[in-house]
Amino acid sequence: MQRPQQNRYKRRRIYVRRKVCRFCADKTLVADYKQPELLKGFITERGKILPRRVTGTCAKHQRRLTNAIKKARIMALLPFTSGHAIE
Amino acid sequence: MKLRHYETMFLLHPDLSNEDRENAIEKFTNIIKDGSGEIVNVDPWPLRKLAYKVQKQTQGYYVVIDFGAPGDVIQELTRNYRLDERVMKFMTTKLDDEFDAAEAAKKYANKGEAEAQTESDSAESEGKEE
Repeated sequence: MQRPQQNRYKRRRIYVRRKVCRFCADKTLVADYKQPELLKGFITERGKILPRRVTGTCAKHQRRLTNAIKKARIMALLPFTSGHAIE
Repeated sequence: MKLRHYETMFLLHPDLSNEDRENAIEKFTNIIKDGSGEIVNVDPWPLRKLAYKVQKQTQGYYVVIDFGAPGDVIQELTRNYRLDERVMKFMTTKLDDEFDAAEAAKKYANKGEAEAQTESDSAESEGKEE
């Protein structure tokens, strides 16, 4: 009885919605270190940069995003790690 | 001398008064101007929480200056940032190798218009609701 259920689950997993690069979808959106609220969506709770396979960002924009996040970290706009974060 | 397009951001100590902050901003804009640079825009941010403690402070005032200047100015600017105790952090980035004052100013002119438009739009929609 359990078999068909498992199969159905597996089949459903195949049709994962294709993620689109947010920066390609919205041309006015630029990965800028001065917008930490935007960049916050691309880091984990621990402050790590999320991989492309998770966010769906294209290679070109991931490169720019990475640089923007690193600049924002230097300027104390984003945390390097949650261990040193305030709050 | 050839101007390049730069952007500099610095973080001021949270205990400074309005006047102190204005003086600090003026000091750095003057350094740029003295080095035959051109200021495009000065954007002082309101008091903001930091992501981590800097010099034991949990908040601070950010200032962003968009400008064009010859490369030598950056060294002078950096030297002054380091000497100035009001500045807790700073970063200067090159936006472009070429500087065109009119082109650079467009960004801010459009932004102002866009904001004005959205304001008038919202005012209109409010009017409609009434």
